[in-house]
Amino acid sequence: MKNLLLSTAMVVGMAGGASAETVGVSMALFDDNFLTVLRNGIQEIAKGMEGVDVQIEDAQNDVARQLDQINNFIASGVDAIIVNPVDTSATQAMTDAASAAGVPLVFVNRQPVNVDTLPDNQAFVGSDEAESGTLETIQVCELLNAAGKTEANVYVLMGELSNQAAVQRTKDIHDVMDSGKCKVTLNIIDEQTANWQRDEAQNLMTNWLSAGTPFDAVISNNDEMAIGAIQAMKASGLKMEDVIVAGVDATRDALQAMAAGDLDVTVFQDAAGQGSGALDAALKLAKGEAVEQKVMVPFQLVTPENMVDFAESN
Amino acid sequence: MSHTPDGVGGLSFDGSGRSLPAEAGVAIALVLIVLAFELLGRLLMHDSFLLNTRDNVPGLFNQARLQIIILQVSIIGIIALGVTQVILTGGIDLSSGSVVGMTAMIAMSFAQVGEINGLPNTRAVFHDRGWVDLPVIIPVVIGLLCGIACGLINGLLIAYTRIPPFIATLGLMVSARGVAKWWTQGQPVSFPTPGYAAIGAGMMPVIIFTCLAILFHLIMKYTVYGKHTYAIGSNEAAARMSGIDVAGHKVLVYTIAGLLGGIAAIVLSAKNLTAQAGMGVMYELDAIAMAVIGGISLSGGRGTILGTVLGALIFGVIISGFTFLRLDAYYQEMVKGAIIVGAVVLDQWRQRRSASRF
Repeated sequence: MKNLLLSTAMVVGMAGGASAETVGVSMALFDDNFLTVLRNGIQEIAKGMEGVDVQIEDAQNDVARQLDQINNFIASGVDAIIVNPVDTSATQAMTDAASAAGVPLVFVNRQPVNVDTLPDNQAFVGSDEAESGTLETIQVCELLNAAGKTEANVYVLMGELSNQAAVQRTKDIHDVMDSGKCKVTLNIIDEQTANWQRDEAQNLMTNWLSAGTPFDAVISNNDEMAIGAIQAMKASGLKMEDVIVAGVDATRDALQAMAAGDLDVTVFQDAAGQGSGALDAALKLAKGEAVEQKVMVPFQLVTPENMVDFAESN
Repeated sequence: MSHTPDGVGGLSFDGSGRSLPAEAGVAIALVLIVLAFELLGRLLMHDSFLLNTRDNVPGLFNQARLQIIILQVSIIGIIALGVTQVILTGGIDLSSGSVVGMTAMIAMSFAQVGEINGLPNTRAVFHDRGWVDLPVIIPVVIGLLCGIACGLINGLLIAYTRIPPFIATLGLMVSARGVAKWWTQGQPVSFPTPGYAAIGAGMMPVIIFTCLAILFHLIMKYTVYGKHTYAIGSNEAAARMSGIDVAGHKVLVYTIAGLLGGIAAIVLSAKNLTAQAGMGVMYELDAIAMAVIGGISLSGGRGTILGTVLGALIFGVIISGFTFLRLDAYYQEMVKGAIIVGAVVLDQWRQRRSASRF
């Protein structure tokens, strides 16, 4: 097996020397803001390199389509493949397909279920999803504590329920509450999905407001929904300094909302860093070089104090 | 055969049995659903669904909830007005959600501000060309033209190549979503001018929806356009033989549906202060569901704009009701699907019953 890998790597390496390296990229979906930054990160780095061609495909959130794309990449003889998995539990088939053909494979952003058993010429570049919701929730607790509260009512906005990040970030909130890391007692009034969307969050928040239950914070699985909630609260005349609003992603719109004093917490996930890290690993593997198989890019907490550092990041 | 007061089999005219229009059934369903939420609310939440139970706000009703019930369905409702006309001709429009996404992206990119917090908005789509801070009429006209163009493509394909509406609009559903993503390579388009934002601010979406609904209700009821639409949907061959330009009329109907999609896109992006390539996904199915719940027959020729408006209201009541009851998110979709199917089953049953009277 090792011999086969080595010889494949050599063939690939030689082919790479003769012509441009081709990297096939299959993204889970194109119309997601964070993944767009990641995708553009890959593209821009590749553009700046001599003799590197990337071909990016949109799996449109369809597991079967993604596997077909990978097989198509293999059939057209790419030097390496980068996959941003639609479903992290469906990655074994991708690993098998690429390893049978001897093509290096790098998973990016979403951690594959088989991350600990990847063959030598495969790797994962991403972040530990459990960090994001934890950082977010602990900061909300700190802010509530600083405001002198011992008990707080919160609403939770969840992303798409079929999405792992949404499930994990929501779980993080509960974990922080249970672990005692939170200095205040959080009382979740209701948690509902707004499918990552600003418009749905705006409607959901307005529905919550119509019940008139007093609350202290809104914890959202992403920034878009947090902004939707802010727009709804402002429309109903709520004072934003009385409510803690937290999101994840540190998008440009979110930083703008933070500058306006509406958003209090967000978490930065280095999309461009993950993209360039994945491309770097893919090219190294294509040349037959060894890479670290699990590269973790940490999340960073963003607050009004350090937000300027992230102004040009996403 | 049924027994009526006027004789066996209803051979004589039974005026009393026909006095209720189709919308009455939908209206009754709406009232029943509201009452169900009111009752469940009293039992489970110890709170009222529609009545005001707070001391710090005045009024008999819970005004905030009444507003959000309509506000949250008004944008898809605008699309549903167009979809209703398409379905009345016996067609279908699957492209409206994607048309909304594409139009929102394109229109919004002409509505961006040049400066944010005193700094130049370098990421505005047309920053390099200096097309920022444009008067609001420009993005609006561009958005409307975008919608009209999409509708025209649908209409021409259906009327002149004779491919089924399902396929023609499915094609545009996929292509328009592609344009939406390509326009900025997936980047969101945010920070509109105050003039553009005003189109979607506060209850403006409801006002626009209401005006359009009244306008099209009158058009469908009192104009030649409306009568021809119903005629084509009831019996296309007969309509053609009676001298109606069926092909031309279909182009017009789909174009109007496209235009309404364009309006919805403008209102949606203005309301959210952003346009994103993923906007409007599944809106076409929600719009079709609103029409169907409102008693529009998918085989064409039967139903009214008023029915669709009531269908939209049922949708809004259900969404708000679920949130009010704090029903688990996982169950909401299951129940919503069951209600859509249930509404059509009821309607079919009612139709068969009324048909058996003749």
